[in-house]
Amino acid sequence: MSEIEAASGNGGPTPEQLAELRSSLAELRGELEARFGPQRERTGASPFRVLDELGNSLRSGLDKLGVSGLYSGLRRLVSAYRMDNRSLEVDEFGSDPLYLEKSRVLLDFLFDRWWRVKVSGAEHLPSGGRVLLVANCSGILPYDALMIAHAVERFHPSQLRPRFLAADWIATLPFAQPLLTRLGGVRACPENAERLLRTGHWVVTFPEGQKGAVKPFRQRYQLQRFGRGGFVSLALRLDATVVPVAVVGAEEVHPVLLDPTLPRRLLGVPLPVTPTFPVAGPLGLIPLPSQWRIRFGEPIRWDAAAREKADDALYVNRTRDQIRNTIQLLLDEEVHRRTGVFRS
Amino acid sequence: MALRLLEGPSPPRIVGLDLSVPKALEGRLRFHRVDLTGPTADSVLAELLEKERCDALLHAAFFTDPHPDREYAHELEVIGSLNVMNASAAAGVSKLVVASTAQVYGPHPDNPNFLSERHALRAHPDAHAIRDRAEMEQLLRTFATRHPSISVVSLRPCWVMGPSYTSSVTRHFESARVTTLLGYDPLMQFLHEEDLLDAVGLALTREVAGPFNLAGDGLLPLSTLIQLAGKRTRPLPHPLLYRLGYLATVARTGDPPAAFYDYLRFGWVVDTERAKQELGFRPGYTTREAWMSCVVERRLKSYR
Repeated sequence: MSEIEAASGNGGPTPEQLAELRSSLAELRGELEARFGPQRERTGASPFRVLDELGNSLRSGLDKLGVSGLYSGLRRLVSAYRMDNRSLEVDEFGSDPLYLEKSRVLLDFLFDRWWRVKVSGAEHLPSGGRVLLVANCSGILPYDALMIAHAVERFHPSQLRPRFLAADWIATLPFAQPLLTRLGGVRACPENAERLLRTGHWVVTFPEGQKGAVKPFRQRYQLQRFGRGGFVSLALRLDATVVPVAVVGAEEVHPVLLDPTLPRRLLGVPLPVTPTFPVAGPLGLIPLPSQWRIRFGEPIRWDAAAREKADDALYVNRTRDQIRNTIQLLLDEEVHRRTGVFRS
Repeated sequence: MALRLLEGPSPPRIVGLDLSVPKALEGRLRFHRVDLTGPTADSVLAELLEKERCDALLHAAFFTDPHPDREYAHELEVIGSLNVMNASAAAGVSKLVVASTAQVYGPHPDNPNFLSERHALRAHPDAHAIRDRAEMEQLLRTFATRHPSISVVSLRPCWVMGPSYTSSVTRHFESARVTTLLGYDPLMQFLHEEDLLDAVGLALTREVAGPFNLAGDGLLPLSTLIQLAGKRTRPLPHPLLYRLGYLATVARTGDPPAAFYDYLRFGWVVDTERAKQELGFRPGYTTREAWMSCVVERRLKSYR
């Protein structure tokens, strides 16, 4: 008993125990093979065999240098990305409750400590029905979406977590894509938004899209064109309440210095240039700790006459611009109200 | 499929058409040898169909895997299907069921999370087999509008898994280390082989027409599936894999690696709502169960 306690106190079994375990495992395998014959190895043409062997020899080489201890330590550090933190059931858009639970520590830290998010107007959030939250798009990575989802979850009595729509290029970016999917992100397209709303999810959308994400720093908090009004006709068709959301602070997280059209032409992705990225490499991806304010505006509900105009392009566009103005006003108010970019 | 119908309570009269008699069916059904790629295949087939007075025709003469001989594959899958269509129109068949695949939607970064039957068929530009199948679907659509008296059904199942079903896909997942693409983890769905046969039976007997997506319920990320099976992944960066694996894959399947691996890169999940509503399709196995049935069977096999 005390031995086990001592072992677990050290954070793992002792080398002797490990050796014992290994030898008993080897015995078991020997017995199994004696009884059933050796497990047949697949000997088909495998161009990867060389690769595997290379990987194995590299691993054993690193073992000798004691690097593996460091590696496993690092693995434990970033445990949120490990396989055993995944649930075996995901919802139909790939959101993983267990993974979200594990990531909550990090999200809470970002919300409370790093960005010290101040939420106002949470009383405007409707108590039920289909809800479409429309926000200003800020920054390249969808931190704002995560924080809005966090704010709604925290301040709404039902504690539901809205799903957010992510721009195309981030929703299919390697590494970002699986991460976002598990945290509740969905690629932004009308079909997805409709299905999410129909199945009772709240949806956060950023109609500015990429235009908003990569606008230069001097245009911060000036809303760009609001898409083609697809979100309005969707809300009209499904009778979804639109809640305008203004996020202040997120646009200072990664200030865009250079117009990203040149990298887009060269690399195919609108790689933004910020004071720290790509100069500082991956470290440049760490967001700046600005102080954030999230403000929910008055919800916009539709009457029967409006709902019939879902296909009326002029009406849709006018409504789109009204919503855009509402958010711009909220933004201006919030920008005036804050005392400094980083000070709270 | 024929075996299952024969074992049913009231076996219908079944006529088999193939290049050779399947062993399990020998002596249990009437059989005619037909080569769909022959020069007069359509008239031969029409004559046979008329002589046997067939009501419903199941057209499943497709390669399961991409065939390295691209010309022959095209000849069979597109021209052969055209022959089948023409023959069934001439012989007055009332139902034509075609085994297509959900892969005709193609894996694309801008796919919506759920593809419905109304979605455009954007076959992968590198996958010749899927391109042929999509072309066949176009021909089928034209055929259906031209012959309203024939109810044409095309079944679009996603990847099929099961204890006995083998294809290049199941073979890919058989190895202990599954090659995946670094940084990509799409949501996958599978269909159990039994459910596919159920759906074919429904399509043959019910009064339906049009395309139907088929898939098991539930979705899982690829990495979770592989972990469930107790396998390990071999994540490779796709630019590397697509370049290094080029010659080997082209020699084996006639396509560059992207034609297969893009399906492990972008989502191509289908919406089965229409099959459930109109066809009465009720999958007995979820994605996870279909996957596990395939994995468990193969694991046991290695000890036999």
